[in-house]
Amino acid sequence: MIGLIANESMKIYSRRLTWILLLLLLGITIGASVLGNVNSARAADWRTETEQLVRQYEDRLRIAELSPTLRADAENKLKIANYRLANDVPAPDPDPWTALLSFSGLIETVIVFAIIVGADIVAGEYTAGTMKLLLIRPHSRAAILFSKYIAVLLFAAAMLALLLLCGYAANVLFYGWGDLRATDLFLNGQGQVVQSTVSMQVLKMYGLSLFPIAAYVTFAFAVSTILRSGALAIGISLLIMIVGNSMIEATAKIEGLKYLPFANSDMSLYIFHLPARPEMTLNFSIAVLSAYIAALLLLSWIVFQQRDVSF
Amino acid sequence: MNHMPVVRFERAAKKVGKRTIVHDLSFDIAAGEVFGFLGPNGAGKTTTVRMMVGLIKISRGDIFIKGHSITKSFKQAIRHVGAIVENPDLYNYLTGYQNLKHYARMVPGVTSDRIEEIAETVGLTGRLHDKTKTYSLGMRQRLGIAQALLHRPSLLILDEPTNGLDPAGIHELRGYLKRLAREEDVAVFVSSHLLSEMESMCDRAGVLQNGKLIRIEKVNDLVRGGDKKLVCLTLDPAQAQQARNLMTASNYEVRSEERPGELRIPLRPDEIPAVSQMLMQAGIRIYGIQMREPSLEDKFLEWTEEKK
Ligand SMILES: Nc1ncnc2c1ncn2[C@@H]1O[C@H](COP(=O)(O)OP(=O)(O)O)[C@@H](O)[C@H]1O
Ligand SMILES: [Mg+2]
Repeated sequence: MIGLIANESMKIYSRRLTWILLLLLLGITIGASVLGNVNSARAADWRTETEQLVRQYEDRLRIAELSPTLRADAENKLKIANYRLANDVPAPDPDPWTALLSFSGLIETVIVFAIIVGADIVAGEYTAGTMKLLLIRPHSRAAILFSKYIAVLLFAAAMLALLLLCGYAANVLFYGWGDLRATDLFLNGQGQVVQSTVSMQVLKMYGLSLFPIAAYVTFAFAVSTILRSGALAIGISLLIMIVGNSMIEATAKIEGLKYLPFANSDMSLYIFHLPARPEMTLNFSIAVLSAYIAALLLLSWIVFQQRDVSF
Repeated sequence: MNHMPVVRFERAAKKVGKRTIVHDLSFDIAAGEVFGFLGPNGAGKTTTVRMMVGLIKISRGDIFIKGHSITKSFKQAIRHVGAIVENPDLYNYLTGYQNLKHYARMVPGVTSDRIEEIAETVGLTGRLHDKTKTYSLGMRQRLGIAQALLHRPSLLILDEPTNGLDPAGIHELRGYLKRLAREEDVAVFVSSHLLSEMESMCDRAGVLQNGKLIRIEKVNDLVRGGDKKLVCLTLDPAQAQQARNLMTASNYEVRSEERPGELRIPLRPDEIPAVSQMLMQAGIRIYGIQMREPSLEDKFLEWTEEKK
């Protein structure tokens, strides 16, 4: 199995497309760091600024037609701002860790790129005709299929690591090394204000995002295995991703939607205490995503196992 | 155990929907034998190869490789097989060496020395570290053969290997397959729709038509067998059509002309006097009568005519 995974990885990293994606990711990460730096102006007096923010949030909460997510977001920020004023806890100076925490959107880039690679890894071999020679070796079809799957997951994890590493490195240029033990205020699962280590929150957010990444990769992988078309797999997966993001709002209103993967696919919602529904927890989301991953893998395996490879 | 065939077909058949693409095949191939699998396009050769290597399910019956069922003990059976199915499709974005390394990783015991050795054997050493997208079709065939032989299989399966090879390449392949069979006791299964190539390449051949095995014989017997010879009549081109009509009216089968005024007719030798007399009585001027040893092509046409 190790040999098979080595083969699949060799194939992934020997392709020009892979390196284009990695370079793009690098560029996007550095670009986001520069933009983040430009936008982070420090106020001279944190108290007046925080009081200003409090008024701003209160104004926003008075808007009647505010969407549930925005409302929750404003409430959270208000809670933290009031806590800062009451307990004399200023927001920490920006450093690489706080910057990384604001990059959660870049995880979507990793998802898109992982979808592109995952959509091709099976379908591409059918298109090129190489599947025949791959399958006539003393390995079960399951081993062939899952070695590909694991290689894509490893690639996605490598991209995530690259994002983290480059994001950190780029921000070091602006803010210095930062403090690994610096803390800030967050809301816990019950909505209480707690003090947590920023770097740990960063690692938690990126680590947990492996679940949604795996879920989208598995989806693209399954579609590509079943339909044998990489382009179709990319198209359908990206469509699902776009539709999925807009489903988070809908989930707040319709309870049944919480069992769909969409509202469970953004782990930063738990870091910032913005679950789509109050009863949804981190563990619930992980369980839902894992169930979908398992079902998609089972389906891919059954189709791959049974299929006559006749072209 | 010594006489166990390398391949045994036991009434292996393939159905797709209601249609039977390959009908019950039953035959053996021994170690050291080069077996030709002949048939026109669409006869079911590739389908048979795909069944042999487990790419498609066998609808009925089974195929055994060194005694292992390809359906029930796939891994043990496929271990002894090296194959090219249809085109030698390679990873174009990898080098020749990486392609071989890829397949070497999939079987235990293939060292990098073995990769170098097999590259040398097929004559690719100089270009081994180039991307395969720069390879010519002939080089792709060579690399295809190299990947098939990497793990020293007991059975080598080549599906239409002469497609895209020039005559020199075919000659070389022929010598190479014979050597593999003689010296390393490999059983070789070669399919082709070009019978002339099989004639000098194979020891024994099976003829497939519409998915049915219609003949299986030693190639020598295939070529020589039957009592009809191909007779070539050279006439005045202006009279060729008249002669053709006469012959057809007397129920002789006349093949298309290769050159104007040259008719080819399968005949028993004792029919020649009657035919020439008939033509001469009709006033047709015969310039020459030649008897040819029929090639496999001629035989093939003959068999397919018989079947109809
Ligand atoms: N997957 C399939 N489904 C239906 N028919 C097929 C399939 N594969 C091949 N055939 C048919 O089976 C016949 C034999 O095809 P093939 O084995 O490729 O012939 P050959 O290799 O001798 O040219 C053809 O008539 C082809 O159309
Ligand atoms: Mg064919």
